[in-house]
Amino acid sequence: MNAIEIKNLTKNFGQKQALRGLDMTVPMGAIYGFIGENGSGKSTTEKLICGLLVPSDGQIKLFGRDYTDVDVRAKVGVLIEAPGCFPNYSVWNNMMLQAANLGMKNAEEEVRKVLKLVRMEGAASNKYKNCSLGMKQRIGIAMALLGNPKLLVLDEPINGLDADGMRIMREVLVDITREAQCTVVISSHILGELEKIATHYGIVRNGKMIKEMTAQELEESCRTYVALQTKEMNRAKAILACKYSRVEEDEAGYIRVYDAKEPEEIVTYLYENEILVNEIGTAKIGLEEYYIDLMKEGR
Amino acid sequence: MEKMNFEHNSFGKRLGSMLKVDFRRMFTMPLLYIMVGSCLVMPILILVMTTMMDGSVSVNPQTGVETVVEGFENTWQAIGSVSGTAMSMDLTSMCNINMLYFFVAVLVGLFVSQDFRSGYAKNLFTVRAKKGDYIIAKTLVGFVGGALMLIAYFIGTILGGAISGLSFDTGTAGVSGIVMCMIAKIFLILVFVAIDLLVSVAAKQKTWLSIVGSLCAGMLLFTMIPMITPLDSTMMNVMLCLAGGILFSVGLGAISNIVLKKTSLV
Repeated sequence: MNAIEIKNLTKNFGQKQALRGLDMTVPMGAIYGFIGENGSGKSTTEKLICGLLVPSDGQIKLFGRDYTDVDVRAKVGVLIEAPGCFPNYSVWNNMMLQAANLGMKNAEEEVRKVLKLVRMEGAASNKYKNCSLGMKQRIGIAMALLGNPKLLVLDEPINGLDADGMRIMREVLVDITREAQCTVVISSHILGELEKIATHYGIVRNGKMIKEMTAQELEESCRTYVALQTKEMNRAKAILACKYSRVEEDEAGYIRVYDAKEPEEIVTYLYENEILVNEIGTAKIGLEEYYIDLMKEGR
Repeated sequence: MEKMNFEHNSFGKRLGSMLKVDFRRMFTMPLLYIMVGSCLVMPILILVMTTMMDGSVSVNPQTGVETVVEGFENTWQAIGSVSGTAMSMDLTSMCNINMLYFFVAVLVGLFVSQDFRSGYAKNLFTVRAKKGDYIIAKTLVGFVGGALMLIAYFIGTILGGAISGLSFDTGTAGVSGIVMCMIAKIFLILVFVAIDLLVSVAAKQKTWLSIVGSLCAGMLLFTMIPMITPLDSTMMNVMLCLAGGILFSVGLGAISNIVLKKTSLV
């Protein structure tokens, strides 16, 4: 059974079509990295999953049930844009309100537990409005974790977090998917961070899902390339372009050859053309580059 | 196939937890205490000041027209007038307990718009698929808040009457009439809360729109209040107000529920 199954989801805001028949499948227990450009429909999809917007068309199922099912929705944790907290209330009181909303019996204990998890136990008495951006994000995550959710929907949760905050966030998400069988949908523009935890990916463009894959499939799709440096970069590039179909110079000043099998093969080829290689090695493109390539292809 | 079991939350459990949250919020909101405090002080000020000014004559220097200030003759005039009395637009008719129905609009408007402005509605409606729970909880909270204001005004009226030395003669209304009048007025709050709630859920985070809208909508029913809750009210008035309150709460509550279901919550 999948945690989320979306079919042909459409959402119009007046004349503007935000989602155009989006399909999405999130397996149970996955950390689903939801990627796309600004305005591609990520937040709209997440708001629809959480029942905060009304779909124009299409079907959303959570754990095999309709997304409006009361019992299923009680097990969804959410952090969309900013945490929904009352600014004049303390962090503790805001958390206790959400705990009461969830009808939790051992509320105090649970609130203490999640605040400790995000390292916010010391700031519980602070007024929410006096918290920094990073602290607010942590509070939002803690709030989403209340009530042992089976599905977490997090929109840009890493924004505003420092390095330590990001690490904590990663650890928390990995732990809850392993121990509590929680499914996580996480959208972020910080792809390097996402790559460290995501088990599945969904790439959305112009309100449509253009690619869904597992981390394993991404690993296989991410091409290996040979990166090299010479004293005659321009000539080397021109010579390599005669033999290899894709030769590019990257921002760091390296020539990348994507369809070469071994570095030795390139060294020999350039030597035959009287070019000496200063530095050479193999590397693999990451999620960020894969995503940028994919976006370029669509333009 | 792998199956996942979810704990079933009954209507009673859901409503109970939501009421707990809303009452906790209302009783920790400074606005409630400011409003209740104002309702206590207002009749004291009105009764004392109008009594002090009673009979004073002011002359318009340009036209030479004399205006005599007429104050309250009886303490209970701040609560209402006996049936059959035509509603006049003078000070004693306008500055009475009935203006509190507009205070209720402010309370409900601010309470609901705060949910949407703070983003709390996102947390709430994600875990609460049933919008009806929200409407019922808000109606009850608004009712209790309004009732507290009315009671505070009633106490303030008694204090104001005592301080200004006005008569406490119940006349044809009698003590039971005044008690029934107050109970009827309290039940009538439900009508206004239902209207205010509908306007507020439609306006969502736009506080100004919810308050202005509620005031305008309330104005349409304002003239009905003295007629349906006279000072010499009987059980019939109480029943009428209760029935009206329930009808409005259920009817407009259902519309509010549809508004929440069919519109974006963020």
